[in-house]
Amino acid sequence: MSSVDTAQVRIGRAQKRALALGVVGFLVAVILGWTASQKAGAVAWQAFVQSYIFAYVFWVAIPLGCLAILMLHHLTGGWWGLPIRRILEAGSRTLLLMGVLFIPILAGLSRLYSWARPEVVKDDVLLQHKLWYLTTRFFTLRAVIYFAIWVILASFLNRWSAEQDRTGDRRFKDRMEALAGPGLVLWGLTVTGAAIDWVMSLDPHWYSTIYGMIFMVIGCLAAMSFSVVVLSRLSDSEPLMDCVQPKRFLDIGNLMLAFVMLWTYMSFSQFLIIWSGNLRSEIPWYQQRVFGKWAPIAVTLLVLHFFVPFLLLLQRGVKRRLHVLSRVAGLLLVLTLVDIYWLLVPSYETLAPQFRLLDIFAVMGIGGVWLAAFLGQLKKLPLLPLHDPRFEGVLEHGHGD
Amino acid sequence: MDPQGSKNIVASPEPEPIIRPGHTFETVTDKISAIVLSRGTTPGWAFGLLIGFSLLMLLNLVVTLLMVKGVGIWGIRVPTAWGFAIVNFVWWIGIGHAGTLISAILLLLHQKWRTSINRFAEAMTIFAVMCAGMFPLLHMGRPWLFFYLMPYPNPMWLWPQFRSPLVWDVFAVSTYFTVSLLFWFVGLIPDLATLRDRAKHPAVKTIYGIFSLGWRGSAVHWSRYEMASLLLAGLATPLVVSVHTVVSLDFASSLIPGWHSTIFPPYFVAGAIYSGFAMVLTLAIPIRSVYHLEDLVTDRHLDIMAKVMLATGIIVAYGYATETFMAFYSGSETERFMMMNRLAGPYAGLYWMLIACNIVIPQLLWIRRVRRSIAFLFVISLVVNVGMWLERFVIVVISLHRDFIPSSWGMYYPTKWDWATYAGTFGLFITMFFLFIRFLPMISIVEVRSLVHETNEEKSHS
Repeated sequence: MSSVDTAQVRIGRAQKRALALGVVGFLVAVILGWTASQKAGAVAWQAFVQSYIFAYVFWVAIPLGCLAILMLHHLTGGWWGLPIRRILEAGSRTLLLMGVLFIPILAGLSRLYSWARPEVVKDDVLLQHKLWYLTTRFFTLRAVIYFAIWVILASFLNRWSAEQDRTGDRRFKDRMEALAGPGLVLWGLTVTGAAIDWVMSLDPHWYSTIYGMIFMVIGCLAAMSFSVVVLSRLSDSEPLMDCVQPKRFLDIGNLMLAFVMLWTYMSFSQFLIIWSGNLRSEIPWYQQRVFGKWAPIAVTLLVLHFFVPFLLLLQRGVKRRLHVLSRVAGLLLVLTLVDIYWLLVPSYETLAPQFRLLDIFAVMGIGGVWLAAFLGQLKKLPLLPLHDPRFEGVLEHGHGD
Repeated sequence: MDPQGSKNIVASPEPEPIIRPGHTFETVTDKISAIVLSRGTTPGWAFGLLIGFSLLMLLNLVVTLLMVKGVGIWGIRVPTAWGFAIVNFVWWIGIGHAGTLISAILLLLHQKWRTSINRFAEAMTIFAVMCAGMFPLLHMGRPWLFFYLMPYPNPMWLWPQFRSPLVWDVFAVSTYFTVSLLFWFVGLIPDLATLRDRAKHPAVKTIYGIFSLGWRGSAVHWSRYEMASLLLAGLATPLVVSVHTVVSLDFASSLIPGWHSTIFPPYFVAGAIYSGFAMVLTLAIPIRSVYHLEDLVTDRHLDIMAKVMLATGIIVAYGYATETFMAFYSGSETERFMMMNRLAGPYAGLYWMLIACNIVIPQLLWIRRVRRSIAFLFVISLVVNVGMWLERFVIVVISLHRDFIPSSWGMYYPTKWDWATYAGTFGLFITMFFLFIRFLPMISIVEVRSLVHETNEEKSHS
């Protein structure tokens, strides 16, 4: 009993710390953003929203991935989902907050996207062709629709899961399973839309059909890694202790490996096709990111986002030990941040990466607030789904021993 | 139900058994080996083989004519220089992918249900790759010079262009065929030994004896067998993805609108698995009813395969959706024209048929009753096979026949020899498949026996 309290207390303490970090991060970011606006020739708040969207895309990827993996778990029903399910659920419940945190981006649209500046569109025939899609009003409407779909999906899954805990009724499992299939389809479409709207349209001339899929994989990998990190922090507390078995982590590690390989496969496919096509409309994107001053980051991604985790995750010894696996997961989370930096920032920092304090504080600000919300959600329910019919045998077995 | 029993049921992830209960090692061996050894040649089988063999002779005729007259007997004309040959190549090779997925990836994922269907799915893979491989060879015009594609030292200083995905194709497909064949054969060895031991006729005994490579079933044999299967599964797994990725790059690395699209690799792989599972269903449904294998290939198998089809079909639909969206989003005139030409051009009928076959009709698989209805499933599997063929036709022909310069546009009409070549490869496939079900155990005796063992173990535990 007391250890349950300890877990809640620990989460509560971490939540306070995260919130403090978030508030400080936000404040410093706002101050830095304001100072940057005062410089001669600077567009007011432009630097701030640029850093903000980079941080935002990273932090929104995690709850979005949580939602997808939660549905994947309901659909396929593997036992690997047992220890991380509550983490995924808590993550998915933060999507409403992410919707609120999207408002600064909407407010700064014209500072971020050249298609939102009439004076640019006036002289750009290509952008005029895209006016049916890239308009401020339609962009906002789409964002509202995306968040509505995500929040509704998350709220149904969470409500049924909580009901299942309370009543132990089998029906809720069937309902979650039934929602998961169509839910994943909706998720795929909306995440593709968000990836195109929020990120790809930063370079409004450039397009790539695989882009949505790349973002789906980024989200899933980030969520998986994040869950493993959280799990390893909480693994010594009741009732998680009972189900921390090496067998289960093998599956989680294999899923991470699959996502790492998928990420590489998709990213490399996109590169190979655009590189061999060498078209004026496409290749500039890679000229900046791979052949220019951004090259060191691209190489870092290749080595640390693919080769190192790939070779590590192939080993059973790594996947069976939670504390080792969580190191790899931590590495992957950091590299996801680097990946998003590499995808987004060259769109406005065209020549070379520039170290900006603002980026760091934006990541800290949104991250702190998001983490605090996540931890607040996490402590609301027991750390394991107690009455899922798929898991009952496992848990009882654990207690019986 | 006693509490103990109900607990066992909830702990089990499987809602119903994979094979029908009541089987022992003996009944499994009897049932599968009898099809080969004691059932004899039935008129139905002979008739099927006759059809297949007749079509195979048609292939013989077409290939002869092709050698004599050249590829001009086909409908390929500039600008559509890739006609039926490439459509059929991609279609056949896609079908093969389900077999590899079932045998390799599902083995690594410990999916037990694969055991009843992997043998004939692998056979399907091998025969489909044989059919597929013929097309690029014949399409070269001078198939007897195909070895120019190999990097070998020669006095002509001839070296393949390694930057071309067409060259990668040679390696991808030949590796795929080799590994699939090896995998299939290694899996067959213990079963061949069973047939050797059960055969009555000395000649039959000798033939199976030769191919079972002296298998005695010792512990060392089994341990090496397990290791070899696992290693081959590991080798075959990347091939599921790599082969169709390379095939997709044949298109995507060019500049033709409708081909040059970054989503091609994952979308081709999903399409390959989609069509492959459709073909497995098309084959499994009649076979299991003719040979009364319903208790080994159960309704549950069909249900799972239908679900895989539904999932991969949705990825394919996603691919079409992004292609269409990007064509209009891109702002590029040629991309937009390509898409309008698909939606409303001279071949638009085929495009809409493709949408109906690949996207609209398979959505019925969401409904459990449809997945559990043999007739529905069989029809949907045929529809998807047609749909996937149309997809390749749309990609190859519609993109080529009208590209950048209107003065070089043209139409593509397949000739009777195009159709005859296609039908001929069906002949090859059907002939091989009929010979396979007659002379080899079409379900893995060994693996189903181990499944029976595990099912009984579970029962005895509860």
